[in-house]
Parts: sequence; structure tokens; C-alpha cells
Amino acid sequence: MEKLFDIFLLMLDGTQITLEIFFVTLLLSLPLGMMAALGRLSSLKIISRIVEFYIWIMRGTPLMLQLLFVYFALPMIGIRLPDIAAALLAFTLNYAAYFAEIFRAGIQAVPKGQYEAAKTLGMSYPQTMRRIILPQVIRIVLPPVSNETINLVKDTSLVYILAMNDLLRVARTIVQREFDMTPFLFAAIFYLAMTFVLTWGFKKLEAHYGKY
Amino acid sequence: MANTNTGEIMLKMTDIHKAYDDLEVLKGIDIEVRRGEVLAIIGPSGSGKSTLLRCINKLETIDKGSIAIKDKFLVQTKDSEAVYASGKAEREILSSTGMVFQQFNLFPHMTVLENLLEAPMQVKGLKRSEVEPYARELLAKVGLSDRADYYPSQLSGGQQQRVAIARALCMKPDIMLFDEPTSALDPELTGEVLKTMRELAAEHMTMVVVTHEMAFAREAASQVIFMADGNIVEQGEPEAFFAAPKEERTKAFLQNML
Ligand SMILES: Nc1ncnc2c1ncn2[C@@H]1O[C@H](COP(=O)(O)OP(=O)(O)OP(=O)(O)O)[C@@H](O)[C@H]1O
Ligand SMILES: [Mg+2]
Repeated sequence: MEKLFDIFLLMLDGTQITLEIFFVTLLLSLPLGMMAALGRLSSLKIISRIVEFYIWIMRGTPLMLQLLFVYFALPMIGIRLPDIAAALLAFTLNYAAYFAEIFRAGIQAVPKGQYEAAKTLGMSYPQTMRRIILPQVIRIVLPPVSNETINLVKDTSLVYILAMNDLLRVARTIVQREFDMTPFLFAAIFYLAMTFVLTWGFKKLEAHYGKY
Repeated sequence: MANTNTGEIMLKMTDIHKAYDDLEVLKGIDIEVRRGEVLAIIGPSGSGKSTLLRCINKLETIDKGSIAIKDKFLVQTKDSEAVYASGKAEREILSSTGMVFQQFNLFPHMTVLENLLEAPMQVKGLKRSEVEPYARELLAKVGLSDRADYYPSQLSGGQQQRVAIARALCMKPDIMLFDEPTSALDPELTGEVLKTMRELAAEHMTMVVVTHEMAFAREAASQVIFMADGNIVEQGEPEAFFAAPKEERTKAFLQNML
């Protein structure tokens, strides 16, 4: 029993890294993704093209490769980031690209007539976006954003290749040292619990925005 | 055609030209609408009716000509360039128009009442208590008092369109623009919308209505314009217009409609 508690304590540290990567990535990539979506829809061709290129790179290569690139290749050209920052950079850039495509599709799914109706009622562009368009976009994008967010929970475990002591790496270390499988069970329970909470949270949000 | 109405000129469009790339859609249109008049615009598909209507509230911009609403220029052509009013002047001019669309375009995430309150509160900065009584009065007028807290998706097409009319009216426009307001409706639902529009006309609301409803044009309009290929082919008061059209194209079109 005591040993179980020790394992649990050790794993709490790992949990902290996992949670940190998860929340910081989410916090940064959602607004960045929104900006990228607006850039992608910009009438300025070059902005749209640059964002399109960025999205293509990020979605077209494995996240693992991007992590390794930020961690190993950037220092070779003189950019040396702390471990956690390197991981966050790669995660944020990657997830922002996915969110950008989700938001772009969401914005485009709102019929042109909504903009026109708002305009004929005298609403300004910012008013139209904030009051009319965004609430409808949120409803449309919630399910895919929920999906990506749950993927992110599991993707955080990729940082083990950067020798960062996230939940999964800590679990593996203990398993190898103690020949005891419980840490894996703990890890699984933790990921499941997080996914459960997120699923529940998004369900609430979907109910809130989807009441019409 | 002599116009017997001597009221204030509400809308004056002069020599309107508009092209999409190489496609000339409006080829020099002149229109004058006086206070309390109902102008019905009819014509075959693609003749430019919607485009013309949408130029009035700047959903489309014109290439040449002028548009004045209540004697204030929305756009004027100087040195062969169309120059639009801007800023506050533009907002003021545009605020005297309200529009009803073929597809209703209600805000789906707001209830019926919220749809009506939105613009007066956001745009005019009015308090809810200042708008709500009027909004409810309008809902009563279009026969939807009991639907104030419904979402648009819970209403029939005809009910949605009546809400859309009330929503536009809630901004107290001087001119109401309608673009085929009954074309997206099942035949049995057009009547209730046309009835609402007839009542508006009877209250001397100035209206410009693009429509395929010949009976409505005949009974409710004070002026009818027949457009084809970006031109006004024929224009007149409904009695004469429908009883004895002069142009061959008008005759052919009306024959087809019956
Ligand atoms: N945004 C646009 N870009 C290019 N062409 C357009 C655009 N909008 C309309 N047109 C063209 O302009 C012409 C006039 O269109 P408009 O919608 O004004 O016709 P309409 O008389 O309202 O027809 P309908 O009865 O079918 O509604 C058509 O040939 C149409 O294809
Ligand atoms: Mg049309």
C-alpha cells in the first residue's frame, strides 16, 4: 500500500508536465489558430498564401518530426530553447494549424446572408463578427475542436522522446525499475480521467451553444 | 408615365450602371419613389432586379449614376467616377432603409424577440426597456406575439419571414426593400406574408418590392416596373400596366406568368 502511494507521488510530477503542455498549448494555439484562420481568409493574397503554406507544413509532417526539429535542429542554427519551451513551440504551431482549418471551415459555413442581414440593420463589422458570426462559428466548430483537444491529451506523451519527464515517461521508468505494471495502469487511468472531464465539458458547451 | 403622387421623393436613382467584370447587369436605370408608394419590380430571371434593389442599400456598389435617399446622396458620379458618401453620412442614409430577403436571414442563435432587439440595442445603443414594447407591438402586428421566445428554427417559413419583416421595421426605416420575400415559401404560406406586406402598404410605408407575385403587384403596388436584360422595358400604374401592356416583351412575360 505504501509502495503504491510512493509510485503515485512520483507520477504526480509527471502529471504536472503533461498538464502544463496540455493547457499552455491549448491556450496559445486556439487564438493563434483563429488568427491564422482569418489570415487564410484574408483578401490579401500573400497573407492567405503564407498561412496556407504554414498549415500545409504543419499538417503534412509528423508532430514527432516537428518536435525533433525544434529540439535538435534549431540549436544547430544557434537557437537554443529550454526543453519545455521547445516542446510548447512545436505543439502550439502544430495545433494552431489544425485549429486554423477548423475555424476557417466554421467561418465559411456561416451563410453570406447573415453578414448581409446584419449590414442592412446597420451593424458594424466588429459588431457583426462578435454578435452574429462568432456565436454561430463556435457552435459549428465545437465538435471538431473537442476532438482535437482530446487528441492533444494523448499527443502530450510524444515529449518522451525529448527526455522530458511527462506522465508516460515517469511511468515507464518506474515499470522498468520495479518490474511492476501499476504505473501503466495509473497512467491509463489519468489519461482516461482527463478525457472524461474534457468530453463532459465540451458536452456542456455544445448544449449551451446548441440550444437553438 | 405621369406620376400623380406629389409626396416627398424618398428614393431617386439616376442612370444606374453596374457590371460584374464584363457582364453588364444594369444599363442605365432611372427610378423615382415617393413617400407611401409601393414600387413593384418584375421581370425574368437574371434581368438585374435583385442587383438593382441591393444597390439601394449598398449591398452592391454601382459603377456610374447616382442614388439619393430622402434628398441625400448615397452615391453620385463626378468625373465619371461613382463617389459614395462615407462615415456618419453614409450610415445615416443607409439607416433609412430596411431589407427583407428571400431566405429570411434571421439570426438562428437568437430568439424571435432577440432578433428584433439586436440592432436597435447594438446600433442605436437603446436600452432593452426602450425597445421591447415596440418590438412586441411589431410582433403583434405580424401576428406572432406568442412566438417571441421561439428560435427561428422552430417556426414555419412564413412565420420566419414575418419575423424578418418585424426585425427590419424595428429599426424604424423610411423605405422597406423586399427581394422576392415569398419565393422560398411553400405556396400555402405565401398568403400570410403578402397579407403583412399589404398591411404595411396600407399604412403608407414606402416599399420597393421585387416579386413574382403578379396579383400582389397588381393590387398593392402604386407603380410597376418591368425589367429585362438590365433595362427598364416598361413602367406604369398597375391598372394600365397589367390590362394593356404596350411592349411585346412585357406582353410575352405576363402571358407566361398567368
Ligand atoms: N455577385 C455576382 N457576380 C457575378 N455576376 C452576378 C452576381 N450577382 C448577379 N450576377 C449576374 O447578374 C445578373 C443579374 O442578376 P440578378 O440576381 O440581379 O437577377 P434577378 O433579376 O434578381 O434574377 P432572379 O429573378 O433569378 O432573382 C445575372 O446574370 C447574374 O448571373
Ligand atoms: Mg433576384
